[in-house]
Amino acid sequence: MKTSLTSDEVRHVAKLSRLSLSDTEIERAKEDLSTIFEHISKLNAVDTEGVEPLDHPTELLNRSRDDSVGEALSQQQVLANAPATKDVYFDVPKVLGGDA
Amino acid sequence: MISIKENDVFNAFHEIWDETDNSNAGPLQGITVAIKDNIVTKKGTTTCGSKMLDGYQSPFNATVIDRLEEAGAILVGKTNCDEFAMGSSTEHCAWGPVLNPWDTTRVPGGSSGGSAAAVAARLCRTALGSDTGGSIRQPAALCGIVGYKPTYGLVSRYGLVAFASSLDQIGTFSLHVEDAALLVETMSGFDTLDSTCREESAPKLTEHLHEPIEGLRIGVPAQYRGSQNDPDVDAAINGAIETFCSLGATIVEIDLPLTDVGISTYCVLAPAECSSNLARYDGIRYGHRTDKLCKDLYELYSESRAEGFGDEVKRRIMLGTYVLSSGYYDAYYNNALKTRRLICREYETAFKKCDVILGPTTPSPAFALGEKSDPLSMYLCDVYTANTNIAGICGISLPCGFSEVNGKPLPVGLHLQGAWYDDAKLLRAAQMFQTATDFHTKTPECVT
Repeated sequence: MKTSLTSDEVRHVAKLSRLSLSDTEIERAKEDLSTIFEHISKLNAVDTEGVEPLDHPTELLNRSRDDSVGEALSQQQVLANAPATKDVYFDVPKVLGGDA
Repeated sequence: MISIKENDVFNAFHEIWDETDNSNAGPLQGITVAIKDNIVTKKGTTTCGSKMLDGYQSPFNATVIDRLEEAGAILVGKTNCDEFAMGSSTEHCAWGPVLNPWDTTRVPGGSSGGSAAAVAARLCRTALGSDTGGSIRQPAALCGIVGYKPTYGLVSRYGLVAFASSLDQIGTFSLHVEDAALLVETMSGFDTLDSTCREESAPKLTEHLHEPIEGLRIGVPAQYRGSQNDPDVDAAINGAIETFCSLGATIVEIDLPLTDVGISTYCVLAPAECSSNLARYDGIRYGHRTDKLCKDLYELYSESRAEGFGDEVKRRIMLGTYVLSSGYYDAYYNNALKTRRLICREYETAFKKCDVILGPTTPSPAFALGEKSDPLSMYLCDVYTANTNIAGICGISLPCGFSEVNGKPLPVGLHLQGAWYDDAKLLRAAQMFQTATDFHTKTPECVT
């Protein structure tokens, strides 16, 4: 386990996280995250050999329901909180050509 | 009733609703409830203490809101919290920090600090909060009131804005254990809208609440005592142990060695789930969108998210993205999930020997605003509470003493934990303590 991160690693993870950060913010995040990773490395001391991961306390399996029509939000309700709309659509800038 | 608007000098509320008439007759008739601002309500806004959701109006109610209203409760408004419930001080709220009613130079704890301060200052009788690693119990301890996190799955999370879905649980703040039992009894029970909700009907939490438990066995782990605790906290906990002994309880020594890696485990699991849950804030369908002219979709996402989220949320999203990323998933996330199973086993073993586990809720009483400036020291506030969520068991914090700091009494919290779905027993033990003590009747100076 790591106990520190490089600026490039933080820049990469900020990109994956879709967060635009300034160089100052990257440097501060590097310090903060390194401190946290150092604490996380305490997990090295735990013997997890042969232990099954537990991703949820209930260990429930998928719960399915009948595929029937129920109540749903109206189009107007769905669009009500959108930052930009056009007619009955969400309005977004041009999406072709760049990264996504 | 007192005016919340005139008396909220603590910034407990983000939104105060004009007294709502609720003509429904039911078990909660006339009981005032404040709602943490990360639980959606059709009335008013739901902002999660974040610029990202400034002005957001939910088109639906959380299940708990519908159930409270049906039972006659009076909902009084939305309370401030750390942004997206990430924090232990309620300093990191886009609408300013919340102040502790016992000493306004100190934090109320967090992330449900607004709900805790509102009840402690007697602005309302009860409040809802959410607890992912201690966010109900820790502020309840620092504000000298009762904070109850039910077993995971007992109360529907439908309409609780997701932070870490396998850890999040809605719970309550109140002065008395009775109100905690009544509220959770009313809100719990199966909900088809939450696929992790327990299928059984609501447990009867109030029915035998006042009957003391014969032969109660209290487990006290060595790991909850020691040099990391403020001496006044240890003294109050010793007092609580004596109280239980005088009520006929037996003290059992138990061992919870993984207490020490609780925060490390939490620091992997909670951010991992957070990074996934908060990916939905893209500035397209709702939430903040940058005014900048963006050249492509990537830029629109990253600029909107950078402007909308605060520092702590960004930190956790990055941390979570990292531990889930290719090449690190096994070493971090999967390994933390294995530790999670070991933490559950440790509790299973402990609960064979005892009915409830006793310790302090927090290592120290309320700290000063700005005192914990580095993120790790803030996370360590939850050292005794995080494993409750990691295992999914129930826990409650009760006032059990005071620490005099600079001439002001600061409350100390007693933490009791119970086994999975053993909430009725946990609350009965809590009620035994409250019947025998008067700490919960003490009020901060601001309350006249």
